[in-house]
Amino acid sequence: MLLFELFWSFVKIGFTSFGGLSMIPLISSEMISHGWMTASEVSDIVAIAEMTPGPLGLNCATFAGMRAAGILGAFVANFGALTPAFTLTAAAAIFFDKFRENKKLAQIMIGVRPACVGMVAGVIIDLALVNYSGINEKINIPSLILGVVDLVMLIKFKISIPKVLLFSALMGIILFGVMGL
Amino acid sequence: MLTKLFIQFFKFGCFTFGGGWSIVAQMKELYVDREKTLTSEELLDLTSIGRSLPGTMIGNIAMFYGHRIAGFWGGIACVVGMIAMPMLILMLITGFYTAFQNNLWVASAMRGVRTAVAPIILSALMGLIKSAFKISPCIIVAVLMFVLYFYFRVNCFWLVIIGAFLGLLICEFYERVKKIDVTV
Repeated sequence: MLLFELFWSFVKIGFTSFGGLSMIPLISSEMISHGWMTASEVSDIVAIAEMTPGPLGLNCATFAGMRAAGILGAFVANFGALTPAFTLTAAAAIFFDKFRENKKLAQIMIGVRPACVGMVAGVIIDLALVNYSGINEKINIPSLILGVVDLVMLIKFKISIPKVLLFSALMGIILFGVMGL
Repeated sequence: MLTKLFIQFFKFGCFTFGGGWSIVAQMKELYVDREKTLTSEELLDLTSIGRSLPGTMIGNIAMFYGHRIAGFWGGIACVVGMIAMPMLILMLITGFYTAFQNNLWVASAMRGVRTAVAPIILSALMGLIKSAFKISPCIIVAVLMFVLYFYFRVNCFWLVIIGAFLGLLICEFYERVKKIDVTV
């Protein structure tokens, strides 16, 4: 039953996601509502997926599937997330020319893209509320400062994501491990 | 043929850091530049269809390419080949993560890493905004979906479905009333 639930969750995620980033709100809400991951773990998997090869959605599927139901869970979740490829894309490959000029699909995307922006904005706030809080306090100042530094590195100085993540990990060890903030 | 496709995509899969574009680049190098079995226009078509269909972009591209070369099972060979290595690596990492999650140093490093996640998503979101707000009603859609997500906790699955319907509705309105085709 758990395996089927996992499969179905990732089928839903697969069919309603368009490109890496737009998967995050879907994954987050499915994982948290089923109790398969906490908000912190969702953040962790986003970070891990950025540092390892493979697309974000499938990396999340492997992580969540394995955490929820072991190795078999990882396979089932990946299979679920890839269902659109096995069905819709396979159909598109057969009717290639019809799909290339498909206007309905373009019209749908006019609504889906801003919807993703809205959801992603929401998920950023969700994750920020958890990631910048301390163990006992609502806001942990060192975390918040580190977050601002990360943002400046990414946007102002265009430093690559893996480097920013590595920097943050080192800072985390210093700030929270050594100094115990 | 299936084995060949599997091996080629297995290699692509080993070097896909940060999204699917590196796979497209590798496909270009092998199929367009070296083997000359694919023109760059065809690759562009493949990519744009892969992006516009739901699901993982490179999963779709792999399926599409494989299907072209060797039918349905060719597609499967490409997809499975591509995900094999990333999946194995992530399984190992998940195992380590689960085992060392509560270790002080690992936990501290992960706390640091977590502070970077919201900024990473935010910076990626900013790149998305331009293509998302082609016409002004899109802004209303984004705000509406934010409210439904954040305050009413509507499941994201339904939000995407609603977004799709609103997209069709908006385009229909623009075509009938304003005589503008917004998709071009």
